Amino acid sequence: MAEDVAPRQNLAQRYRKPLLGALAVAIFFAAWQAIFLVVPFDPLFISKPNLIFEGYADLIESGDLAHDLAVSAVPFLYGFIAAVIVGVPLGIVMGWRQKVGYALDPLMTVFYASPLVALSPLVVIFFGVGVSGKAVIIFFLSVFPFVFNACAGVRAVDPLLINVVRSLGGGEGDLYRKVILPSVLPYIVAASRIAVGRALIGVLVGEFFAASEGIGYAISRFGDIFALDRMFACIITVMVIAVVLTEGIRWAERAAFPWRTGR
Amino acid sequence: MTEIQADNLTIAAALPADSDAPRKSAWRRFEPTILGTGTIVLLLLVWQFLPEFVPMKAGTKLFFTVPSHVAGTLWTMFATGSIWKPLGVSASAFAIGLVLAIVAGLPLGVLLGRSATLNAMVDPFITAFNATPRLVFLPLLMLWFGIGIWSKVAVVFLGALFPLLINTYEGVRNADKLLINVVRSFGAGEWDIARLVVVPNSLPFIIVGLRLAIGRAVLGVVVSEFFGSQDGLGVVMVRAASQFKVDVVFAGLIVFAALSLIMTGLVKLLEDRLTRWRPQHSNAG
Repeated sequence: MAEDVAPRQNLAQRYRKPLLGALAVAIFFAAWQAIFLVVPFDPLFISKPNLIFEGYADLIESGDLAHDLAVSAVPFLYGFIAAVIVGVPLGIVMGWRQKVGYALDPLMTVFYASPLVALSPLVVIFFGVGVSGKAVIIFFLSVFPFVFNACAGVRAVDPLLINVVRSLGGGEGDLYRKVILPSVLPYIVAASRIAVGRALIGVLVGEFFAASEGIGYAISRFGDIFALDRMFACIITVMVIAVVLTEGIRWAERAAFPWRTGR
Repeated sequence: MTEIQADNLTIAAALPADSDAPRKSAWRRFEPTILGTGTIVLLLLVWQFLPEFVPMKAGTKLFFTVPSHVAGTLWTMFATGSIWKPLGVSASAFAIGLVLAIVAGLPLGVLLGRSATLNAMVDPFITAFNATPRLVFLPLLMLWFGIGIWSKVAVVFLGALFPLLINTYEGVRNADKLLINVVRSFGAGEWDIARLVVVPNSLPFIIVGLRLAIGRAVLGVVVSEFFGSQDGLGVVMVRAASQFKVDVVFAGLIVFAALSLIMTGLVKLLEDRLTRWRPQHSNAG
C-alpha cells in the first residue's frame, strides 16, 4: 500500500495519481479505437474516437456547437441566478428566525424530496418551450440546495461572534452583514456545487422535451438521426462542462475557505 | 416575532408558575410540528380556494387544478386499479436498476478503497460520470436498449451506481488502520479484512449512499419515462399533461414522492437494525 510507505517521495511518486489517471484515460480511448479491429464496427450503434473527433471538428467549424451551447447557457444563467437570489435569503431567514424555520422546514423538505422534475411537462405547458420554461425548471431544481445550505450555514454561526457584535452596539443589519453572511458564504459555495449538477439536469430535461436548439436538443436530435459521432461529441462536451464547473467550484472552495477542506 | 415572545414572557410572569409550566412546555414541544404542518395546510387551502377569489380566464382554467381534485383523481386511480400496471412497470425498472447498482457498486467501492493504484486509474472516470447528469446518456441508452424497460433500468443503474460507489469508497478509506493491522497480524487475508473490519465500518457511509441512490433512481425512472418509453407512470403523466389533465400529473408526482419516501424510510429501518451495535457517538458519514 502506497500510503503506508515512508515519505521518500520522488517526482514520479508525487504525481503518481494524476499520471495513472491520465494513463487510464489514454488506455480507455486507445482500447475503444482498437477494439473495432477485432469486433465488427456498426456506425448505427457505436462510434469510434477518430470519428467523434471528426464530428467535433465539424461541429466547431460550422459553429453549431457554439450556437447550441450559447442557447442553453441563457436559461441556465437565468434559472441559476434566480435560485441564488431567492434561495439564499430564504435559507438565511429560515436559519436565523427559529419560528420561520419551524414553519418552512417541512414544506421545503417535501419539495426537496419529491422528484420535482415530474412537473416539467406542466412547466412546459405553462411557460412554453422557450427560455422561460427551461429557466423555471432550472430554478426549481437548483433552488433547494441554496435554501438548505444557507439555513445550515446560519445555524452554524458562532454565537460568540453574535454576542460580540451585539455588545458593541451592532443592530440586526450589522449582524446580517458582518457575521452571518461571511459565515454562510462557504455553505453557499458548496450549495452552488450541488446546484450546478441539478441545473444541468434542468437544461437537459427542458431541451429533451421540446426545443429547437440547445445542447440537450442537439444530443437527442443526433440520436434520432443516428449521427452517433456528433452525438458523442455533444455528450463529451456536456461531461467536460459539468466536470469543469463542479471541480472549478471545488477548487475555489479550497482556495477561498482553506479551513473547510476537511469537508 | 420579538414582540410576541416578549408578550409570552409577561403572561408567563403574571400566571402562577405551576399551571403555566406544563402548558408552555407542551407548546414548545409541538411548536415545530404545528407551525410546519400549519404552513403546508395553509398553502393547500390557498391553492384550493384560489379559483373562488381570483377570476380566471377559460384558458387558464384548463391548466388549473385544485388539491381536492388531485386527491379525488388519486383515489380513483387506486380504486379502479388503473394505476397498478404503470406503477408496476416503473417500480420494476426502479428495483432492477437499484439492485444492479448495489451489486456492482459495493464490491467496486471496496476494491477501489483498498487499492490505491486502481483508484488512481478509475478516479477520472468516476469524477467525470459523477459530475455529469446521467440524463445526458439517455438518448444513447435508448439507441442501445430500445424504449422498453432496459433503457430505464440502465438510466436508474447509472444514476444510483455512483453515490453507492463513492460512499462505499469513502467508508472503506475511513476504516481504522489499527484494526486492519490487528486483523492482519492475526493472519487474515484481504477477504477477511474486508469482511471483519472494512465492510462493517463503512456501513453508515453505504447507508447514506443508498439514500442518495434512491433519490437518483426515482429521478431516473421519471425522466426516462418522460422521453423514451411505452408504459410506466411517467408515460401516464406526460400523456395526461399533453391532454391538460393536470390533476393526473400531480397525482403521479405524489405517487413518485411517496415511493421515494417509503424507500428512504425502509433504508432508515435497515440502518437502525444494522448499526445497533455501534456506539452513539460514531462518526457516521
